[in-house]
Amino acid sequence: MNREPRLITKILIYIVLIAMTIFALYPIWFAILASGRTGDRLYTFKLAGMFLPTEWTWENYRALLQDTAYLTWIKNSLIVATCTAIASVFLGTSGAFAFSRFKFRGREAGLILLLAVQAFPGILALVPIAQVLSALGLYRNLLGLILAYMSGQLVFATWMLKGYFDTIPIDLEEAGMIDGAGPIQSFVYIALPLARPMLAVTFLFGFMAGWGEFFLANILVPAPDARKTVMVGMFQMANEVNIPWGQFAAGAVIVVIPILLVFLWVQRYMEAGLALGGVKG
Amino acid sequence: MVGWHGRRKVLTILAFIAPTLIGVTVFSLYPLFLNIFISLTNRGRFYPHPDCSKTLWKVIEPNCWLGEPPMGLADPFSLRDPIYANYTSLLGGLFTKEALLALFFIFVALSPILIAWRLNRHYARQLTPPISSGLIWLAGVIGVLSLGWLINLPDQYQLLLDSGDFIMVNARTILYVLVCMPLFFTLGLVMALILNNQFLRARTFFRVILIVPWAASTVAIMMTLIWQFFFRQQGTINQILSVFLTDYKGPAFLNRSIWAWVAVVLVNLWYTYPFFMVTLLGGLQSIPVELYEAAEVDGASWWQQLTNITLPLLRPVAMPIIVLSSLTTYKVDAIVWALTRGGPTAGAGKPGATEFVMIHAYKQIFQTQAFGRMGAFAVILFVGLFAATLYSLRITRITEGVYE
Repeated sequence: MNREPRLITKILIYIVLIAMTIFALYPIWFAILASGRTGDRLYTFKLAGMFLPTEWTWENYRALLQDTAYLTWIKNSLIVATCTAIASVFLGTSGAFAFSRFKFRGREAGLILLLAVQAFPGILALVPIAQVLSALGLYRNLLGLILAYMSGQLVFATWMLKGYFDTIPIDLEEAGMIDGAGPIQSFVYIALPLARPMLAVTFLFGFMAGWGEFFLANILVPAPDARKTVMVGMFQMANEVNIPWGQFAAGAVIVVIPILLVFLWVQRYMEAGLALGGVKG
Repeated sequence: MVGWHGRRKVLTILAFIAPTLIGVTVFSLYPLFLNIFISLTNRGRFYPHPDCSKTLWKVIEPNCWLGEPPMGLADPFSLRDPIYANYTSLLGGLFTKEALLALFFIFVALSPILIAWRLNRHYARQLTPPISSGLIWLAGVIGVLSLGWLINLPDQYQLLLDSGDFIMVNARTILYVLVCMPLFFTLGLVMALILNNQFLRARTFFRVILIVPWAASTVAIMMTLIWQFFFRQQGTINQILSVFLTDYKGPAFLNRSIWAWVAVVLVNLWYTYPFFMVTLLGGLQSIPVELYEAAEVDGASWWQQLTNITLPLLRPVAMPIIVLSSLTTYKVDAIVWALTRGGPTAGAGKPGATEFVMIHAYKQIFQTQAFGRMGAFAVILFVGLFAATLYSLRITRITEGVYE
């Protein structure tokens, strides 16, 4: 397995790698190219133009930001995603600590309960969630959407953080306890500072979940433009009769590229979260 | 934790858990129960409102808590008669003689592959298996094909599909998972094997590049909208083909059942192979090099090393991710919605070729607005998904034990 491969094998390996690189990157590269193309076509009829930036203009970006409600959608999405992330971390941390550190009756049952809830996907819970929100007067409202997202993210956050608390050695807290710290002090002064990196990661995952979600947003906050999230707005833009392709591609680039970078940065924590949560968030 | 007992302990723990518990109860647990309740009623487009004069409704229905909601012209919804009518209308088709028989035949047709699997597991414990595992698998596949031809598998499958939307949608989704998993695994494994080769230059560079699609899956709906344009009649694929073929006029891929299927599999492959690649790469790196050195001394070929060392030792890593990924693939939503919206349809009122469970549920809520029926659909799915989640948790725990 680990001997130096023969030349022909090496060439084959590099061909596969280059093919896979094109496969992996082309859709994103395609969006970038289309966002800089004049006219409202997503395609060019020159073969070279499909792979190389033969023309470039910022016109699509200007039109998107000035003539459409795009910035409002972005603002809404930022609000929703940030609040979802804050709420799920805020509500999940102390519970995760308790599940990790305390032995109490119903602990196992509680963890299983969280899993059970996780097994109920958001789309299937749409009708009852919409009922609850409309009773609270939060239907067609960004706050309602945040609450709906939070319910899904909370479970994920609790599992991720519990897993992280499990890996922090308990010795420090025991030392603290000898010095007279109660469980609340050891949580606030010892465990929380140690868990800071994972808190940040959980926050980012909550943010990305809220940023990329479409189905709940499409039903819970369908209209008007002033309240749409960017995913809903862009989806509707792509399904209009006369689609401004260049603007669509520009919008996609603005939405996708930052989240790609954030994800690549926190990606290594994802596996841990997947294994612990049992379910992808 | 020592030194604190009794009420103080209970109160502290409650204070810690309360935020999580309240959040989960109000926005997850309660909707779950409300959903079970809705599944027993005929709630929907024609009976949208609750009848708040009934005590039961006053307690369960959130719209009744703050006084009477506006009633509108329609009648209020009521409990179904019999109370499980939504469930029988969803599953009823499954319990007819023809459907059960078709299910039985399909099981019989697939049995050779199961037998091959059991046999291989049996022989795996022996040092010198009498037949090679590849031959057994081959025999299993041939058995499936010949039995399938003998009892006319496509007809049986079609018969099962005709027995009801729920069964049709589920059978399709399971078929989709079965098609996707080997592809995800194979591509992930091939890329992991390549990236694990220490003589490769720029390994880190390729590793980062190749997980970009995984990153894109966090904004799946948007990336899939971009993918969608490749499959259009004047899309990128047809354009590239028309450069090489004169007078070529390609199909609008997403309007053909088969091509739409291929597209949905391909795009999901794009999103999912990095997850397999990264996890399997981690597994590969945990295999001790000595094993390969010993095999090398014994003159084992590359293929023998792969089948006798790498794959068996990858099992504890591979099993959990296959189970996890099967679950997520079963729940595929954004990819299909952005590509085909469940289409192309076979006819009015029939689920389309790529209408998998989540898409079906969403369409029912969105278009038909048969909430009671959808509630029953959700409850049945929930039971299955919960069982699968518990199973996946068991497998994951077993793996943790292996590496600790």
